[in-house]
Amino acid sequence: MLGEFEYLMLTAATRLGEDAYGAAIRQEIEDATRHRCSIGALYTTLDRLEAKGFIKTRMGDPTPQRGGRPKRMVRITAKGIQAARDFYAAVTRVSRGVSWEANRAAVR
Amino acid sequence: MGGESSRGPMMTRVCWRLVDISSRILDPSEREAVRGDLVESGETSSQALREVLGLVVRRQAALWTHWRPWLSLMGLVVPLGMLLSIVSRRTAGESSVYIWMYANNWEWADLGNAGFWHAFPETVALVFTRYLTLGCWSWTSGFVLGSVSRGIIRVNGALLCLMLSFGALLGAPLYLAYFSQYLHRAFGFPSLPDPNDPVFALRFYREMFPLIVQAVLVVGPSLWGMRQGVEVARLRPLLRTILWTAAIATLAAMVIQNPDLWLFMNTHRRPGIWDGWQIRLLQLVVYWPVGYLVASAIGRRWCGRIASI
Repeated sequence: MLGEFEYLMLTAATRLGEDAYGAAIRQEIEDATRHRCSIGALYTTLDRLEAKGFIKTRMGDPTPQRGGRPKRMVRITAKGIQAARDFYAAVTRVSRGVSWEANRAAVR
Repeated sequence: MGGESSRGPMMTRVCWRLVDISSRILDPSEREAVRGDLVESGETSSQALREVLGLVVRRQAALWTHWRPWLSLMGLVVPLGMLLSIVSRRTAGESSVYIWMYANNWEWADLGNAGFWHAFPETVALVFTRYLTLGCWSWTSGFVLGSVSRGIIRVNGALLCLMLSFGALLGAPLYLAYFSQYLHRAFGFPSLPDPNDPVFALRFYREMFPLIVQAVLVVGPSLWGMRQGVEVARLRPLLRTILWTAAIATLAAMVIQNPDLWLFMNTHRRPGIWDGWQIRLLQLVVYWPVGYLVASAIGRRWCGRIASI
């Protein structure tokens, strides 16, 4: 079963698609969680996800905006998509009928 | 305000410099990606330093979840650090006497004395041999540690330096004091004043000179040997086996040839054991790092010449 932070990273990478790389994923997570995302947590989790076969990474081309340094590009695999689906389904099932889930419309 | 603004850019430069230094511990590709992320996200220097240090700590901590680093720590770093501290202090103590004889009792008139020119070269050769042996022992210890460290070589290097500091300041003096008591108990040495007392009455020879010897002849060669030891994985298996055999023989010689260590093994009860050709051969093996470094330098120059043709 995925961890919470792993799910956030897989979701961010899926949303970004071809533009998924370290800094962009980090920005997506910070926007969603409204908390700082440490680079240490990001890169160690990327390694863990790659070891589990949920993502594949490669070094991209350097760009001037990054001081001529390359990006670590991320692509989610089919296994990763399935793992993210399973996590989302589990969270949805366990949240059914819970007060913050039931009052979602009122919160909005 | 002026003081703060002038400190600001300097602190920024210092922080970015620390980011550069600490990020070198990371893998090259990860280092470049992380530095690029920091530039792209516009982090301040202090935030960047925090992020990089956080990643470095996580990476190093992850290595220590395996058993190998713990085995190298308890099986190599700790024992080698203590052994080298004891051996270094003994070497410093012995050479202190000779150095004191000439440095603290120097008279220019001695240069005209034939006896001086008979004894002085012998003393220089003896002290040089002792220092060369200590340097080779230290280099070999670092070589062995470096060849098993790989990903944790920097951490092991720092731990070795810590162990050497502990050994120099606390471990070695306590051990040697205990050893001296053992000699008095075991052999009934009479309580006579030590003829070398005038040497060690001077604080320089008692406290500072052992630390200088350890810094120059132990820490430096050990760290150098560690860097060389990391490269051993690229060598052919036969050469690796030969180097490892020489290294183990050298470390055995370090234990055998130091009375502070072998007397506890009761080998003094077997007279003549130390006079054989085997011990003399072992002493020659101790100097194998010199041959290895010379051969490596010649090999690198040879390869460079071939590449340039």
